[in-house]
Amino acid sequence: MSEQVHNRLAMVRAERKVSRQALAEAVGAHYQTIGYIERGQYNPSLDLALRIAEFFELPVEALFSLRPFRPLTDEVYGRKQ
Amino acid sequence: MTTAGTTQRDRRTRYDERMFALMNNREGAALYATAARRRAAVAAHVALTAASVAAGIGMYAADQRWPAFALLALIIPWCLATGVINGATRGLLELRTHVLDERQLAERDRVRARSHRLTTYLLAGAVVGVAACVRFGQVRTENLLVPVLIAVFVMHWLMPMWVAGLAVRDEPTEESEQGPEAL
Repeated sequence: MSEQVHNRLAMVRAERKVSRQALAEAVGAHYQTIGYIERGQYNPSLDLALRIAEFFELPVEALFSLRPFRPLTDEVYGRKQ
Repeated sequence: MTTAGTTQRDRRTRYDERMFALMNNREGAALYATAARRRAAVAAHVALTAASVAAGIGMYAADQRWPAFALLALIIPWCLATGVINGATRGLLELRTHVLDERQLAERDRVRARSHRLTTYLLAGAVVGVAACVRFGQVRTENLLVPVLIAVFVMHWLMPMWVAGLAVRDEPTEESEQGPEAL
């Protein structure tokens, strides 16, 4: 079982121009918790991960993964790894 | 975008809101911004607590007034040190369960488990210490009862706060330095 859940939260949050405080309030978490998730120092529960995904109107796998995410530019422009 | 967090917020009373705002007040953030400062705050709190307990026990044992004045003088710095630790932990031990999120609740459980373990060692030490004093120091058990009970009670009461103060991690990255509203 993977101990580290990788996420794209910081990138998506910056892209949508949402502050940690605003996201934390929307999903019922402390703003530090959002920061710890972004730093990979805390793995959210399924419940919290789903609430975050729902907030951004994205599937949960777009934000969280058991494997490291490929850089977005590689995904968009199709560069092979 | 949805607001899934509203259910949890609805359960908060005005007391909860006031306490949450107080515990998350960032005015004193510089006092606990680094691990070294947090350790210093906890060390100061331990020293002030030890001095207060000593003054209280001295008042009882010596039957004099001056320890009471010492105790009064120690209250304000003790309260300030308590505030610094509570600020550092964001009220981890002061706020009610429904005000904390899942990470904070897990952290609080860890802090309580660790402080329970430490308190157990201290209680064992107190038992051995009292037994040794009675056996080898020719001290009467009844003379030790009140001081040891007070000291053990205070440690049991405050150990979670000290453990929580030392367990706090640094604030997440650069955004928090500009305040939570920044982005």
